[in-house]
Amino acid sequence: MSAEVKEKDPLFSLKNRKLISAPLNKDNPITIQVLGICSALAVTAKLEPSVVMALSVVFVLGVGNVLISLLRKTIPPRIRIIVQLTVIATLVILVDQFLKAFAYDVSKQLSVFVGLIITNCIIMGRFEAFGMANKPWPSFLDGIGNALGYGWILIVVGFLRELLGSGTVWGYPVFEKFGLYSVGYENNGMMILPPMALIVVGVIIWVQRTKVRELIEEN
Amino acid sequence: MFSNRYIFIYSAVMVIIVAALLSLTAMLLQPRQERNLTIANIQGILTAVNIEATSDDAEELYKTYIKTELAIDQDGRIASVYKNGRLEEGKVRPFDIDLKKELYNKKMGNPFIIPLYIAEKDGNTLYIIPLRGAGLWGPLYGNIAFGPDFNEIVGADFSHDKETPGLGAEISTKEFANQFIGKTIFNDAGEFVSVRVVKGGITTMPTAQQIHGVDAISGGTITSIGVSDMVNNCLENYISYIQNNFK
Amino acid sequence: MQELTSIFVQSIFIDNMVFAYFLGMCSYLAVSRTVKTSMGLGIAVIFVLGITVPVNYLINEYLLGPGSLAWLGPDFVDVNLNFLSFIVFIAVIASMVQLVEMFIEKFSPALYNSLGIFLPLIAVNCAILGGSLFMQEREYQSIAEATSFGLGSGVGWLIAIVGIAAIREKIRYSNVPAPLRGLGITFIITGLMGIAFMMFLGIKI
Repeated sequence: MSAEVKEKDPLFSLKNRKLISAPLNKDNPITIQVLGICSALAVTAKLEPSVVMALSVVFVLGVGNVLISLLRKTIPPRIRIIVQLTVIATLVILVDQFLKAFAYDVSKQLSVFVGLIITNCIIMGRFEAFGMANKPWPSFLDGIGNALGYGWILIVVGFLRELLGSGTVWGYPVFEKFGLYSVGYENNGMMILPPMALIVVGVIIWVQRTKVRELIEEN
Repeated sequence: MFSNRYIFIYSAVMVIIVAALLSLTAMLLQPRQERNLTIANIQGILTAVNIEATSDDAEELYKTYIKTELAIDQDGRIASVYKNGRLEEGKVRPFDIDLKKELYNKKMGNPFIIPLYIAEKDGNTLYIIPLRGAGLWGPLYGNIAFGPDFNEIVGADFSHDKETPGLGAEISTKEFANQFIGKTIFNDAGEFVSVRVVKGGITTMPTAQQIHGVDAISGGTITSIGVSDMVNNCLENYISYIQNNFK
Repeated sequence: MQELTSIFVQSIFIDNMVFAYFLGMCSYLAVSRTVKTSMGLGIAVIFVLGITVPVNYLINEYLLGPGSLAWLGPDFVDVNLNFLSFIVFIAVIASMVQLVEMFIEKFSPALYNSLGIFLPLIAVNCAILGGSLFMQEREYQSIAEATSFGLGSGVGWLIAIVGIAAIREKIRYSNVPAPLRGLGITFIITGLMGIAFMMFLGIKI
């Protein structure tokens, strides 16, 4: 996975395309690599914040991985963690400061995510596993791919939790329109509590590994 | 491969670049950010009296509706008066009071002053009290507006920095804030009871008490408790002022 | 003293980092295969939280918080470096982890062998940064309170990870559906444990 990609590879060679497609399924950051769980729990009570978080991570991981890849030859291994964290934190804080000054309404919506992005271990994890060892272009693809793999799980969990927990999708009262409440249906308030996110992810893992049997663990 | 010297220089250079970059942007952007904050503050105050303001007309509307700002000290005395754009009494403009600092003073048992905004809307005098407290992950803010009797709530507005999206963050919705409308903070005997945010819904309270409670956010227990504490902690400072002037 | 004890107990059970705030999940799920290794990671977390929270408390009190530079002279009262807190806290944590690693390596090779591999993992454990940010938010009155909170959170995390590791060791003998084995069932068990821990919510000591 972190093998050096050869220079003469065309931009979208099979290998490069794999960088995007693998994290969507067989090498998924959440269900296989166990990265970025905390934020997956924090934002998935509703669909909208899940999508916002997914998009933010696509942006930050794509750009961050390129930056780290550009710096990779200069970073002394002993202090690499500090350097990686500093790069990511600076990037996120800068964006946050600009939003606060020029797009205050957007920044109010996003301020929750700033802390979650900096501490999101998917970002550090990919820097460490890929950005530090590869050229910028593959790193960029790897960043985007992993962020997308992370994002789709987030969106599925957010969708399920909002639908079953609040009876809405993106704030639109679906169940109410179907008239489900008048026949005695009630929202499952449990779904919007964080522990249910863990259980939903557990079920997604179950489904995924039933389909891709090679992923099944020994015990 | 990398000597200690290299590591040292590398980290020093990195720290300097990062610090310079961040301080520079912070310094350059600070005036704009503070302006945005002030406008957000004004919008919060106006929303409490049900006036929707955009960031462009907020300051204009504030001047039209909020004619008087008062600062009240811990014993309910008026410490400063700001009327029609002029400071008539006292040293600080009530709008500029740092509520966080004053609440800290209160906690420490030191003297403190708190702001009170008086709005004239449709011939009624409304009183707006700003709130500040702590939620699950960060601070909570808000404003509560009272009718002419300073007992019945006519509007409220809450916001937060980083509560959990979809759970605690729901306090900033209109649905939550509008629950406060029509509630009262004094009981029939004239004792201060505040408005509590009740887990499980106000239907769990005795009917006579329901006028002093609102429904909590499901899944946002700690944030709901935070709102309850914030409302109580901020309103109780005004009790002696209210009792001196409205009874 | 009573205040310190109650902060300590509260941060272990009521404000448990894993079950109440769901922080530090990644290493919690990934390293909880056996009780022995999770014990090692848990002790390392206590260690690092016990050091970084008080250090960041001092930094927050004397460098970053509003008005905290007053000791430099009256001109500095209005300086507010709060926007730097994220990056400073992270830098402190990363360098503390590195320092602790070097220190242990030098003075106690035996401890290093059992703890060493976990230390780099800890820098990315969001429970650690979460600890510092909570400390800033809750405005503890003294460094003793901050330390007690840091240690308590660490102990809470250790209890959580050792608990799940013990369950995982036992579950090996159960007939779990094949696709659910390993990670899948761990997620679900953690969810159930979280639901159980919710009964502590709202208790005030």
